[in-house]
Amino acid sequence: MLARQVCIIGAGMTAFSGKLHRDKTCRELLVEAALEAEKSVDKGIDLKKDVDAVFTGYFTPEIYEHQGHIGPLTATWLGLTPKPAFRTEIACASSSAALYAGITAVASGLCDVVLVAGVEKMTNLETQEVTEALALASDDISESRVGATFPGLYALLAQAYFKKYGATWEQLQTVTIKNHYNGSLNPKAHFQETIAQIAEKVGSKYGVKYRDELDFLKNSPFNRVIAYPLRLFDCCPISDGAAVAILASADIAKKFTDTPLKFLGVGLASDNLALQDRVEHASLRASRHAAETAYKMAGVKPKDINIVEVHDCFTIAEWLAVEDLGLVERGGAAKAYEEGLTSLEGEIPVNTDGGLKAKGHPVGATGVGMLHEVWHQLRGTAGRRQIKNKAELGLVHNVGGSGASAAVFIVGR
Amino acid sequence: MIENLISLFFRELEAGRLVGSKCKSCGQAFIPPRKLCSNCGGETEILNFKGEGTLESFTVIHIPPSFLKDVAPYVVALVRLDEGARVMGRLLGCNPNEPEKIRIGSKVRFEVLREKRKDREEAVVAFRPPKA
Repeated sequence: MLARQVCIIGAGMTAFSGKLHRDKTCRELLVEAALEAEKSVDKGIDLKKDVDAVFTGYFTPEIYEHQGHIGPLTATWLGLTPKPAFRTEIACASSSAALYAGITAVASGLCDVVLVAGVEKMTNLETQEVTEALALASDDISESRVGATFPGLYALLAQAYFKKYGATWEQLQTVTIKNHYNGSLNPKAHFQETIAQIAEKVGSKYGVKYRDELDFLKNSPFNRVIAYPLRLFDCCPISDGAAVAILASADIAKKFTDTPLKFLGVGLASDNLALQDRVEHASLRASRHAAETAYKMAGVKPKDINIVEVHDCFTIAEWLAVEDLGLVERGGAAKAYEEGLTSLEGEIPVNTDGGLKAKGHPVGATGVGMLHEVWHQLRGTAGRRQIKNKAELGLVHNVGGSGASAAVFIVGR
Repeated sequence: MIENLISLFFRELEAGRLVGSKCKSCGQAFIPPRKLCSNCGGETEILNFKGEGTLESFTVIHIPPSFLKDVAPYVVALVRLDEGARVMGRLLGCNPNEPEKIRIGSKVRFEVLREKRKDREEAVVAFRPPKA
């Protein structure tokens, strides 16, 4: 349990992009996201005066920008020195670890207001170098040396899932199609085109007409195999971006807004790093543990949640997530997705911002980026992708690596 | 004194043997060997594997890390050894361009793949379907 209530009083995010931020560094991205978060605080905030500490998630700044010591770098560029500032790292869930640190700091009474950031500046490197940087999240001895890439690890999970439940790659494409549709409604998404629009564009270039979205995904050479059975459109893109959230204790939060969001449940879990050291491969145990902790703390059940952000670094990851979170029964994802359960108009909208697949996945920015989406959906400010159902409870689910880390946050109004 | 268990693993691998550890409390086996069990934290003992196992999952890597760019496409397999440990390795003796012919659940046998990487040769865990 939290010793005292922790609230979100502001959230900001740069666009996630493969092009827009090419000539920037993490410094400019962090400033851009922080300024938007500052502006989002209803009654205004003076970061220099009000923020007590800074936590930044960034997976591999050493590789992308030849830069360590990201904590004070963030504080420097936001003008927040001499406040305490450090970086957190659990691969793709690095900024969820920053949130965890920020929540802990506020709940303990050590801080009243904290700034939590996440960032990754990836496009500095070529695709193959990025692949190698991402591989640092896997077990060097038993996975990387053997030649298992990151898409390869999720492909192994996908194969295990297909075998166990008899689901197919074709059915899995419902994830890509849904998330690209949602991304098409998000002006900050990396990809803002539906699969139908992409199929039309690619088709007209090569003089091919595709019957439908699945026909394109299945038969276009453009959707090449990355790690069988996963293909290009099963993978999230390489993006630059940053996101910032400002947290405060409940009593202090009143000073900044009349409508703060509350952290009702917080769960963070680990699992054995290498896939070969885990017993199960059609589910991520860390996700289940993090979810169990968060649901218990919040005193809510999966069916109570109105809007969900899950970690879909690869299509299969979204299926594992909705099952591990208890939103769909084990082995039931294919049917649930074919029935539209998780679409924008569905009963439980999942990844309304396009998910990692279409919104993009600047690794260290993703956890806070997901919280940013839930912040807008619960406040009714998500624009064209605003869910129609009443949004009282939101859930963020962020995975590190191939599932050795997982975080779940349940937030409510 | 804690032994150099990772060095031991690679030394044995070079010699064509697969070594790991088995927990004295819960019985779970792991590769490479480790002092404390990753399942329950218990004390372990060294275990030499026979190298017979079952294919639990596989993938074909088409976009490889740079040190394997001349080798791709290649098959990476997750194998459950008869002694209970799981291990990742390269799957040999199959066509990476015909993945639909590779059967999860089939029997495989351990061997060492000696692969040229930049200026040196690396011993890599590998498997192959046993000869009929």
